[in-house]
Amino acid sequence: MKLLKTLDYGLSKLEEFILSASILMITVMVAGNALSRNFFNNSWAFAEELSELSLYVATFMGIGYVARKGRHITMSAVIDNVPFALRKTLATIIPLITAIILFTLAYFSYEYVQSTSGRVTSALRIPYYWMNIWAPIGFVLGGIQFLRNFYVNVRNREVYLAEERKDYQSEEEVENQSST
Amino acid sequence: MVTTLLIILFVFLMLGFPMMIPLILAPLVIVLFFMPQVEPFLMVQQMLSGISEPILLAVPLFIFAADIMSMGKTSNRLLDFVGSFVGHLRGGYAITTAAACTLFGSISGSTQGTVVAIGTPMRQRLLKVGYKDSTAIALIINASDVALLVPPSIGMIIYGLISRTSVGDLFIAGIGPGLLIFSFFALYAYIHAYLYKIPLADKATWTERFQFTRKAIFPLMFPVIIIGGIYSGFFTPTEAAGISVLYALLLELVIYRSFSIKKVPSVALSTGLITSAVFILVAGGQAFAFTLGMAGIPGMIADTFLSGNPGPIEVLIIVSIFFFVGCMFVDPIVVILILTPILQPAAMQAGIDPVHLGVIITFQAALGSATPPFGVDIFTASAVFNRSYLDTIRGTPPFIVMMLIVCILLILFPEISLFLL
Amino acid sequence: ACGGGETEESGSDSEDEGGSEGDNAEESEDEDTAEDTAEIEESYNWTFVTEENEGQMQYEYAEELADRLNEKSGGQITMDVFEFGQLGTEVDQVEQLQSGAVEFAIVSPGFTGTMVEEGQVFALQFLLPEDQEQVHELLNTSEALNEDLAALYEEEDILPLSFFTEGFMQWTGSSKITEPADFDGFTMRTQDSPLIQKTYEEYGADPSVMSAGDLYTALQNGTVDGQENPIFFIADSSYHEVQDYMTISNHNSYVAMTTVNPDFYNGLPENVQSLIDETVDEMRDVGFDMQDELNSSLLSDIEDNDDTPTEVTELSSEQREEFRELATPMRDFYRENAGDEAGAILDKLETEIEEITGE
Ligand code: NA
Ligand code: NA
Repeated sequence: MKLLKTLDYGLSKLEEFILSASILMITVMVAGNALSRNFFNNSWAFAEELSELSLYVATFMGIGYVARKGRHITMSAVIDNVPFALRKTLATIIPLITAIILFTLAYFSYEYVQSTSGRVTSALRIPYYWMNIWAPIGFVLGGIQFLRNFYVNVRNREVYLAEERKDYQSEEEVENQSST
Repeated sequence: MVTTLLIILFVFLMLGFPMMIPLILAPLVIVLFFMPQVEPFLMVQQMLSGISEPILLAVPLFIFAADIMSMGKTSNRLLDFVGSFVGHLRGGYAITTAAACTLFGSISGSTQGTVVAIGTPMRQRLLKVGYKDSTAIALIINASDVALLVPPSIGMIIYGLISRTSVGDLFIAGIGPGLLIFSFFALYAYIHAYLYKIPLADKATWTERFQFTRKAIFPLMFPVIIIGGIYSGFFTPTEAAGISVLYALLLELVIYRSFSIKKVPSVALSTGLITSAVFILVAGGQAFAFTLGMAGIPGMIADTFLSGNPGPIEVLIIVSIFFFVGCMFVDPIVVILILTPILQPAAMQAGIDPVHLGVIITFQAALGSATPPFGVDIFTASAVFNRSYLDTIRGTPPFIVMMLIVCILLILFPEISLFLL
Repeated sequence: ACGGGETEESGSDSEDEGGSEGDNAEESEDEDTAEDTAEIEESYNWTFVTEENEGQMQYEYAEELADRLNEKSGGQITMDVFEFGQLGTEVDQVEQLQSGAVEFAIVSPGFTGTMVEEGQVFALQFLLPEDQEQVHELLNTSEALNEDLAALYEEEDILPLSFFTEGFMQWTGSSKITEPADFDGFTMRTQDSPLIQKTYEEYGADPSVMSAGDLYTALQNGTVDGQENPIFFIADSSYHEVQDYMTISNHNSYVAMTTVNPDFYNGLPENVQSLIDETVDEMRDVGFDMQDELNSSLLSDIEDNDDTPTEVTELSSEQREEFRELATPMRDFYRENAGDEAGAILDKLETEIEEITGE
């Protein structure tokens, strides 16, 4: 159990590092290319490809992290307004089904990665799997995280929107808070 | 097949699954059961492809810039500046919110960024002077949508990309409608404050105004740098987003020293989080659009609704309804991606200026961001303010009415958007 | 997923097809093979993807091919022709062809240079003949292309039925380009290909990758100074509106391929296969005339446009020679960097070009 906790902590730090680094990389590439072209008359041929790569990384490697924080965009109008028992059931089942679907997508992503073997990227001419391997990895990490969101709802009585995010505040709570 | 697609979409959406699930699952099921010749892995190909357009890089960059500014002092300085001029008027705080959102929208390009940057500090001020939380949130959400219309605008960038329309022209054409919406909101704020007897704030002295203006001068340079940089050929709209990040960093780290460079990675992380949440939808949207395309549905829709050469106004009404309904359920960016190719040909045939069409579409996307049931700004506000979905949308109806009036004006008077071109 | 064994099989199968194709091209001019075609028994609905939109060369070509097949088959064959964009990027479409999701595709070697590197031969500037008729002849008859290069595509599950030209590539610029010195300090937007970028570096330009979505605005504001494309594409994208100069540089021909999925094609009854072959062969001349008409009528549109005038200059043969000298070393770059067969294919192609141009 201790080992799992350490692994989990390590994974969450790694996810944070990757997300943060990809955004910084996009900034450096896009702004750097513009500055280099204007001041040194030298465009960076690799800028677009590395930015694109970073956006792939951010999007797919973020699935798990966003799930951990309970920040996936969700239409919650119905689930917010049903009786507690049903609400709790949905909050438990949804992450489970989501995890299954994400694992399925991971499988198809892996097939896609295989289908592009032999290709290289256009600018850097590196193997193409550097671009698309993030999809299967991201879906697997996402699936694992949703399994854990499922587990946390099984283990606890309250509704958890995600492992690290409990339910919302109510109107009275907010207005009381700010008037003090 | 279409029925299956729609049923999966709506059932999974309404049950409260993460949006990405119905968006990806619906086309996947169609491919698995109705299109034997299409390998399911092509859904993944389409997802990657959907986020491969270089112009999309502007989205995380503008959000990053907004995050840096809301972390630092920029948004407060803008609020102080606007507040010192209009804060004392009836409904002044609400007007300040609307004006600051418009201004910040022309800095950040992103409605969500605006909700975070202006919404967070402004909501506290609004609550303090006695606004109801639902009114405060509704105002913040709707005023933030102006960010989609005033340049730079992520919605316009994406429309420009798909419709092959000049993004620069679109930016200019969004200014008029943006200001029109602001005027409506300001008028509403005035009437609302009068009806609900919101107390008046003290009037700032000219010395204070001068000081706040001086402090806001660097943030106010943003639009100048962005728009000026694009039109002087220094950089593309996409690159402008990257430059705005650099400028935001320059302001907060060097000039204001509001936080240290060590904090930058954690700001990037919060940008990365929103980027992932939004882009997985853009990715899914492309898989969805691909399946529709393979099934020939775009052509069918166009034939059904746009046959018999309808005139420009009819076409714009049809376009607006399609986008309004679409944005009720799906992310506006995804709706732009899916519907633009379907509706644009008919609009061109009816002689509609592609720039005007872009403004109408972007306007609907803006409206859609704040319209229940689905609305990214509602979700962002719900997440940032930690309020439930229903509490977040309680105050929106008057704003939606105003937005619909503006929409009718835009359809009837294209000059509102085109006069600057 | 496509197993390796399967790929090799279909590759060797269709190599023979490739061989007989060249012969067909000559035969079909003399006799109308439609008479021989037995009645098409089944009805077919196929998908045909293109890299361009309505009014542009590839789409019009595909529509015409589809119409002819429909007519010849007595309505049994219908094709849905897709404009660019609905099914993803150019590379996406190729992958869809490879996996069999679409049956027909127009493919530019330029977009597949990361799959079949030898296909980058079409990125070499000042290599193909200067006379468009000779380019046409070369594309129809070249063994280097129709057999050797085609075989490499077949290995990747892309079966080329014909190569065709969409017209000469031209330069547009915010300043006039007639000699290499004009490229000094000039930012040139190009496709994302090291070979093309190196070529412009040889001329002295700063090659810059930029998405099509940004290009019009970038040309308008001077973010980049120029770009290259065939005339019809320049006109259709309105780049001439935001460019003061166009150079009839004819520095290359834009070549595309009509391709099918090999498994699909080999699984068709013989009479359907020959109906396809025959129609694709007809399209060689029809397509050539289409691009000729499209490019020349749109060139006069650009020249006659007084609202946003564009000065059109043609390179003299001396000026072309200056550029050719700088571009020729790129052939060695191609030989060394574009796959195992690059050297052999280019050597053969150079010989074939000499035979046609008589130089
Ligand atoms: Na904006
Ligand atoms: Na909505």
